[in-house]
Amino acid sequence: MVNMKINFRPRELFFCAALGVNANNADEWWKYSDDQMRGDQSRGHMTMTITTPNWKRTLEIESDVNGTKEALSTIIAPAKEKGIRTLRIEKNMWNYFPKLKRKVAVSSSMLLASWMGSDFTNDDILKASSMSSDYSHTFLPDEKWQGEEMRTIENKAKSDSKVMWPKIVTLSSKKDCLPRINRYYDKENNLKRVLTFSEVKNFDGHKVLTIWKMRPTDDESKETTLIYNKIDFKVKFPSSHFTQKTLTQ
Amino acid sequence: MKSLILLLSFCSFSALAAVRTEFSGNVEIQGRQSWNNPQARKDYFQNWKKEEFYLGYGNVNGKIMYGQSTIEGNVFARHSRSDLYRGNYAAATFFNFPQKLVARDIFKLQHVHQNDVTRDEVVLNKLYYQWENEEARFIGGRLYINYGLGEIFNPINPFNQPTALTSISQVAQGNDGFGFSLFSSETHKIDFYLLGDKRIDGYDGQIDRTLWAHGELQLSGDLEVDYVIGEDQNRDKLGTQVSYQNNDNLFFFQGLYQTPLLTKKNTRNLVDILLGYDRQLTQKWHVRVESGYQKQNPTTATIVTERFLPTEYFIAVANQYEIHPLLKVSATFINDIKSGFTYGLARLTYSLYENAEAELFGYSPVARGDHADNVAQKLVTQDIGLSARMFF
Repeated sequence: MVNMKINFRPRELFFCAALGVNANNADEWWKYSDDQMRGDQSRGHMTMTITTPNWKRTLEIESDVNGTKEALSTIIAPAKEKGIRTLRIEKNMWNYFPKLKRKVAVSSSMLLASWMGSDFTNDDILKASSMSSDYSHTFLPDEKWQGEEMRTIENKAKSDSKVMWPKIVTLSSKKDCLPRINRYYDKENNLKRVLTFSEVKNFDGHKVLTIWKMRPTDDESKETTLIYNKIDFKVKFPSSHFTQKTLTQ
Repeated sequence: MKSLILLLSFCSFSALAAVRTEFSGNVEIQGRQSWNNPQARKDYFQNWKKEEFYLGYGNVNGKIMYGQSTIEGNVFARHSRSDLYRGNYAAATFFNFPQKLVARDIFKLQHVHQNDVTRDEVVLNKLYYQWENEEARFIGGRLYINYGLGEIFNPINPFNQPTALTSISQVAQGNDGFGFSLFSSETHKIDFYLLGDKRIDGYDGQIDRTLWAHGELQLSGDLEVDYVIGEDQNRDKLGTQVSYQNNDNLFFFQGLYQTPLLTKKNTRNLVDILLGYDRQLTQKWHVRVESGYQKQNPTTATIVTERFLPTEYFIAVANQYEIHPLLKVSATFINDIKSGFTYGLARLTYSLYENAEAELFGYSPVARGDHADNVAQKLVTQDIGLSARMFF
């Protein structure tokens, strides 16, 4: 892992050391961030709002996550999609349509697909990829954002990881070591979308950025906001939870 | 006594609090303008040129859950209006596909009324009781049995017709009987079904039994095998589905062998084969290819109403593209390899509100197939229609 040499910065070292993060190691910044926001197991309740100048659409989702290996999401609202579940085990995915009692295996390429017409992908919702394990991290020179000097981390996809974005540049706050902006670049190094994070809340001892706003660069009038209303990090799923049986209940 | 009443009241409230209920459904209205194939007018007594067809239908679904038990029911109602009913023309049957809303039917539980220009039907196509624990699930009543990857042709599942080619959505077929699912491990599940059907001889006749097993076995992260074996509609059947994921591609195969009729001599065996491919090409573009062979069943005269696929060898390509988060377009082409007959359908779906959408749809033979000898292919019409649907 290559880390850029940086100058000794006592102030940020103080904050991050207090959190148990080595300020000079970009890998540790992401590991800390993933641990905080993802945990080992969690059940989250989210509201997603897709907004354009002409229309607005809101969805509610419940998402159960077991590390990076397993996830089960259920749409709570609106009525049109209510009850649709998606189970992911490693890279295998199944959708279940309860009204028709229909379970279908879906190609892992569906992880790239837009989630319900939003600017988020299935991968964003089902958390198949992990920033700390699928990317290698390098510090870039600091950037100022909203009056705060931010740590800039360049994340490049590892050669063996199957992720959608080859490069993501992250601005992280030096106060809590959590990201505030992710900039996603395609293979041609064009900036395609920008994700901003805000509103840190504490759920079961985990600091979580609860408001995520995704803006595609090709249509700046469009925006998808994902709000984590609640996350239960103390939940303990039985071994049978991430299975076909639970999917088809 | 007061304490007892209080205790009973508390228990009743606790029990009620543990009961979860869900109600949902959808309604849709649609109208279409249809043009007949001149050859059908000339050769097959379908003496109409241009007609309108109006359809309204809806589902109301209710579910009650308590502990490990679930009771769920669905009522499907449909009303259609067209002058095509006056002449008993075949097109009206196609427009109502799937007309058979209960695939294995003992209890009837349906009302159908047709007059000169209208047809009304109300069907209780789902009503079951289910109990389950960690390893097993028992289900009895009128069931939806829905498995298999084929969206256009899905031979390993004779209990639910694929509806990818119809203009009707959110429809599934019921089956009367019992089911038992055994989750023997996280990678292996087996369903057993005991079903019945009375309609072959009428509702007063004997019950045709179905004894069926369907298994799902996850062999590795990339490879899954389904198998089916049993007796159904007087034939012994054996089949499999193999699906394999390679990078971003999903490949699947289905094969089903059916013996000659068990109760009639000198009947033929049947073989169905399906090859499929599915891939999300880009964030907005999804493609699926299905190709296969279905041996024509000479005992089923109305192949189109049974399968909506009037071909023996076929290849189908289905594309779906998201033009805008509110606007999706899908286009499917099916080609009969032997005759050259090609059928195309396109849909443009616009999301009006969170729970309402409008759809413009069109069906048309793209190539008539010069050497087509299939009656059903000549009966296929050219249609354009508009529908509005709501979900609750």
